[in-house]
Amino acid sequence: MFFWQRTKKKGPDPRGLDRLSSSLETNLHWLQTDLFASDETIVYRRIKTSGPKPRDCVLVYADNMVKHEYLSQFVLRPLLKAELPKGLRGEELARYLAEQVIEADSSECITGYSQIGDKIMGGVGVLLVDGCPLGLVVDAQGWAKRTVTEPPSESVVRGPRLGFSEDLGVNISLVRLQIASPNFKTRFVQVGEQTKTRVAILYLDNVTSLDLVDEVQRRIEEITIDAVLDSGYIQEYIRDAPYSPFPTIGHTERPDAAAAKILEGRVAVLVDGSPFALTMPYLLVEAFQANEDYYNHWMVASFHRLIRYISFFITTSTPAIYIALISYHPQLIPTNLVVSISAARKNVPFPGIVEVIIMGLVFEILREGGVRLPRPIGQAVSIVGAIVLGEAAVSASLVSAPMIIVVGLTGVAGFVNPWLNDIAVLFRLLFVVLASVLGLYGYVLGVIAVVLLLSSMESFGVPYLSTMTTLVPQDIKDTLLRVPWWQMTLRPRYLASKDRQRLQGRGGRGS
Amino acid sequence: MRRRLFPMLSLLLVSLLLTGCWDYMEIESLEFVFGLGVDQVKPEVVVVLEMAKTSGGGQQTMVEPKVLSTKSQSAATAARALSNPAGLRTFWSHAYVFLISEQVAQEGIIPAMEHIVRSRHLRSTVWVFITKECTAEEVFKSKPPVANSVSEHLNSIVLMQDAISGFLPLQVWQLNQAFAAEGVAAILPTVKLVHQRGELVPIVEGTAVFKRDRMVGWLDGQESDILCLLKGLDQRSYYVVDTKVTDHGYFPITYELVGNRVELKPLVRKDGSIAVAISLTLELGVEEIGAAPLSFRDEKLVRSVEAQLATFVTREVRGFLWKIQREYNADILGFGQLFRRKKPEVWRRLGEDWDAQLRDLQVELDVQCKIVFTGTSSEPLLVRE
Repeated sequence: MFFWQRTKKKGPDPRGLDRLSSSLETNLHWLQTDLFASDETIVYRRIKTSGPKPRDCVLVYADNMVKHEYLSQFVLRPLLKAELPKGLRGEELARYLAEQVIEADSSECITGYSQIGDKIMGGVGVLLVDGCPLGLVVDAQGWAKRTVTEPPSESVVRGPRLGFSEDLGVNISLVRLQIASPNFKTRFVQVGEQTKTRVAILYLDNVTSLDLVDEVQRRIEEITIDAVLDSGYIQEYIRDAPYSPFPTIGHTERPDAAAAKILEGRVAVLVDGSPFALTMPYLLVEAFQANEDYYNHWMVASFHRLIRYISFFITTSTPAIYIALISYHPQLIPTNLVVSISAARKNVPFPGIVEVIIMGLVFEILREGGVRLPRPIGQAVSIVGAIVLGEAAVSASLVSAPMIIVVGLTGVAGFVNPWLNDIAVLFRLLFVVLASVLGLYGYVLGVIAVVLLLSSMESFGVPYLSTMTTLVPQDIKDTLLRVPWWQMTLRPRYLASKDRQRLQGRGGRGS
Repeated sequence: MRRRLFPMLSLLLVSLLLTGCWDYMEIESLEFVFGLGVDQVKPEVVVVLEMAKTSGGGQQTMVEPKVLSTKSQSAATAARALSNPAGLRTFWSHAYVFLISEQVAQEGIIPAMEHIVRSRHLRSTVWVFITKECTAEEVFKSKPPVANSVSEHLNSIVLMQDAISGFLPLQVWQLNQAFAAEGVAAILPTVKLVHQRGELVPIVEGTAVFKRDRMVGWLDGQESDILCLLKGLDQRSYYVVDTKVTDHGYFPITYELVGNRVELKPLVRKDGSIAVAISLTLELGVEEIGAAPLSFRDEKLVRSVEAQLATFVTREVRGFLWKIQREYNADILGFGQLFRRKKPEVWRRLGEDWDAQLRDLQVELDVQCKIVFTGTSSEPLLVRE
């Protein structure tokens, strides 16, 4: 019954006009009984101005969404002391208040009834004055925010320790701090029927291809969704190759990484409420690049990059190759090793493939169990995993010792490329199944299939394997190796940026 | 396209899964054969094999060699029949050695080794040996002091061949070539058992000389070194030579061969007779002079030592040549091949009757020796009186 009444009363105001009345009591009545009915977090602060003819005012705001001291100091106090001239009504009154009474640094007038709802939910105070059909909006957002801290998902040994937070404005300012250039532009799009989330598209006007920016904007505008709580929503809507497990849009929690992508001619997308910036186009090479590569000595960085490629191979292929070798090609294993593996497997009741799948599953369970737990308990999980499931399983002859090595190596190598780790698990499984049916032949078939998949993909018009399939020196400079900065004179070719010259002249040093 | 994709994928998957895993095997169900041998060919083939019994696993893997043997109609059936007493599938790809007993070698080696060359289960890098004065089974049952199994023991000896010398190793893939080549006789290294602190230990020393596929005789370690020398192989063999150092003193001095260059030239003399010219240039190092008052700063003395060495080598080579030409009449140095390649008209004329030609073949020998290395000192140890 109650709900029926409410739904009946809801909607635009009874007069059919979306306008505030000049009567304060009428406006208040509508707010309390209709727009914010049964919402106890809305505060209505009623005051009177001073002077011979005090006037009624009400400051409306959502509790804890505003800075309370700020409102009382710069809005309420001057109002209480103000003596309003006689006969001021309507817009004049509003302008007088904004210009001569209220001390807050920004205030605007709104006339609409429904606008008040949006504004108050956005964390501002709205001042309603008797005899004035306008509301004065005072910016005083002050909800609880996380401070800018080092991002936990991408910690570095060397490099800036700033990370994005949940506030879009702060996030944009963090990128702008890195790229202090008037060419740095931001476009805003609103997504989400309920959440009305602001999405910012960041790019460099004189570098990024505007076609790319327009395409990104078009894709974001086409999204129809009720809520956007994280940039992951946007990512899934606008990405290419949505059925492929490989990422075609990158994400980072670091302003320096986002700025670096923008400076290369990519587009970054920030979403209000999400500390993860999206960058696009995204190619496979980027999964093997870390921002620290560019801060460390280039030789060290190149070596680390090599390690990442090797680790990706290890994490996807070791179990499959192990299975293929012990089940189909024991002649390829060195004699001493084959004898020792054979001895280790003597009392194990399961065939190799079952062992691999069981241990792989156990590893993933341990990882998944540890990820979302508080750190102290997470450590307990890994200890239990290592001792109970590793040591004891071998002693009990449930699995063989070489298998523990294979699974451990595979798991650890997976952590080297955090962006590809989840995918690596899928392909590892695929390769293991193929290898257990067809041996090395099956494994190679699987690899060929994955390479075909990769070469058929693209991200925002850029082939996904760009620079990895060619041997052009310019392409190798930032893929297999990380050459010194003064050698990287050009921006990536595949981004079709307006200005490919990154550095003036052929190198500032060494030439 | 999408409608067709699903049936296509499922067909692919089915074809993978239904065909089964025809080569699938579990590694723990394999019995790794380390070495095999043939002890008898007629009337039945006796095959011996040494395999690894593995136990433990993890940190304490134990490998215990086991020797099995069986009799059967052929080498192939015998090899397969051995899976039965083994209780596990015998796996041949990791075999190190193949032993052929002296008796089989004398009767003709082809029936024993044909299967080994042909079989795809065995690697072509298996080392082949002839057992001297013992059978393959006896060799496999002996106890090597360090290695886990006899086969590993023999394998590791072969791998340090350049350091210990005294034999020429040969792998299965070279066998066919060694026996099929025209104008050159085959040789195989020999394994024999020696007493070592009460145990019989197999060692590799010397060479079995073949004439066609039958073994006709042995060469000992020293003779095998000469053979290496004449084949131009890099082998660091030692020679102990009684060398005249002072006017009336002979001292045993040990020399090490550090480099050799050999040139074989076929000659046809004016009278139509044939000969071979061998020129040997050896570089030697001095390993031990004992009490000899030999100073290598004395140019004249060094020249004299080098001349004595040349004489020694000439004598050794002459003895060796006599043995292979006259005693065994087996052309293991490949003189026939030399003529066939360089003087084909001579080979066409005399090749039919090469055995007789070899017996009387003249060899012109020219040996040059040079001392290139004297260790850490060029002076003898001085003892004050």
